[in-house]
Amino acid sequence: MSMFGRAWVAVAALLVSAQAAHAHIVAARLGDFYAGALHPLTDLQDIILWIAMGVLAGSLGATTGRWLVLVFPLGLLAGLGLGPAFGIVSAGAVADAGTIAVLGLLLATNLRIGTVPLCLIAVGLALMRGAANAGDLGPETNRLLFAAGLAGAGYAAITLTMALTVAFRGTDAGSSIAWRGIAIRAFGSWIAAIGVMMGGFALAT
Amino acid sequence: MLPRRLPLLEIPVAILVLAQPAFAHEQVGVTGGLVSGLLHPLTGMDHLIAMVAVGIWGAQLGAPAIWVLPITFPLVMAFGGVLGVLRIPLPMPEVVIALSALVLGAAVAARLRVPFGAAAVIVGAFAIFHGHAHGAELPSAANPLAYGVGFVVATGLLHLCGITIGTLSRWPAGERLTRGLGAAIAALGCYFLAVSLGGVA
Repeated sequence: MSMFGRAWVAVAALLVSAQAAHAHIVAARLGDFYAGALHPLTDLQDIILWIAMGVLAGSLGATTGRWLVLVFPLGLLAGLGLGPAFGIVSAGAVADAGTIAVLGLLLATNLRIGTVPLCLIAVGLALMRGAANAGDLGPETNRLLFAAGLAGAGYAAITLTMALTVAFRGTDAGSSIAWRGIAIRAFGSWIAAIGVMMGGFALAT
Repeated sequence: MLPRRLPLLEIPVAILVLAQPAFAHEQVGVTGGLVSGLLHPLTGMDHLIAMVAVGIWGAQLGAPAIWVLPITFPLVMAFGGVLGVLRIPLPMPEVVIALSALVLGAAVAARLRVPFGAAAVIVGAFAIFHGHAHGAELPSAANPLAYGVGFVVATGLLHLCGITIGTLSRWPAGERLTRGLGAAIAALGCYFLAVSLGGVA
C-alpha cells in the first residue's frame, strides 16, 4: 500500500473510532454546580415558567421588575432547601399548568400589577420550581454546589429575559412601537394557551 | 491523481464515517412532541388555510380585530384542544373545520365587514374545532407539553403570516391579490367540505 493509501486508512480509522468529547463538567470537582445550572434546562416546564416570569416582569418595566433579580434566585434556594425538608418535591402538573396559564393571562391582559404582588408571584413560583428541582438530588450530590448552580441559572434567566423584554418594549410611548406591546400580549396568550393545554393533558392522564 | 477504480477499503470506511443514528420511531419525547406539534397545523392544509385566513380577515377588519383575534384565538383554541385531549366529542369536527376555511376564505374574498363581536364569535367557534382536532391527534409517544408548545407557536405564526398578507390590502394590487387568495381559500374549503361529507372519494 502506498504512503497515501496508508495515510488515508489512518485518517479513516481515526474518524471511525471518534468518541464524544468530555472535556470537563461531568467528572470535574464542580460537576454538581453545572448539574444544578443545567438541570432546569432539562425540564420544559421550568423553561416556560421562567421565561414567562421574566417576560411578565419586563413588560411591567424595569422599576417594577428589578426586585426579581434578587427575589427569584433566593426563592429557588429556599424551595430547594425547604421542599425535601417538608417532603414536597413537586407541586404537580396541574399546579404547574395553572401557574403557566395565570402568568400568560397576566401578560395577555396587560394587567398592571405592582412590585409587591409581582414579587409574591415570583417567590411562589421560585419555591415551587426549587422544590421540583430538588426532586432529582441524589445522595452523592454536593447540595451546596447544586444550589449555587440553580440559583445562578435562575438569576441569569430572569435577568436576561427581563432585560430583553424591557429593551424590546421600549420606552417611547409613540404609535411606531405600539405593535411591540401587542406582540408581548400575543406572546402571553400563547403562554396561557400552553398552560391550558398542559392542564388538559394533566387531567387526561 | 485520481484512482482508476474504487478501492475496496474506502467504501465501507466512508459508509461507517457517514453513518447517522437511526430513528425508527418518530414523534418521541420532547423533540418529537415539539416537531409533531409544529408540523400538525402546517401539514394539514385545512388547518393551514383557515389560520392564514383568520390573520388576513383580522387585518382587513383593522383595529381592534387585527390584534385581538391573534391574542384570543390561541386561548380559545387551547380550550378546544383540552376537549380533544379529554376525548370529549364535538359534532362533525371535520365538516366544521372545512366549513371554517370556506367561511373565512369567503369573508376575505368579499372583504366582509361585520361588527367585531360577530367576527370574534365566528372565529372563536371555529377555533374550538381546530383546537379539538389538534388535541385529539396528539401522538401517544410524544411529550404532550412540547406538542402543545409546538402547535400553539405554529398557529400563532400562521396568523402572523395572514396578518402580513392582509396588510397588502392598503395597495390596490395587494387588495386584489388578498381577495383572490381569499377566493382560493374558500374554493379549497369547498373541496374539503365535499370530502368530509363524502362527496369526493
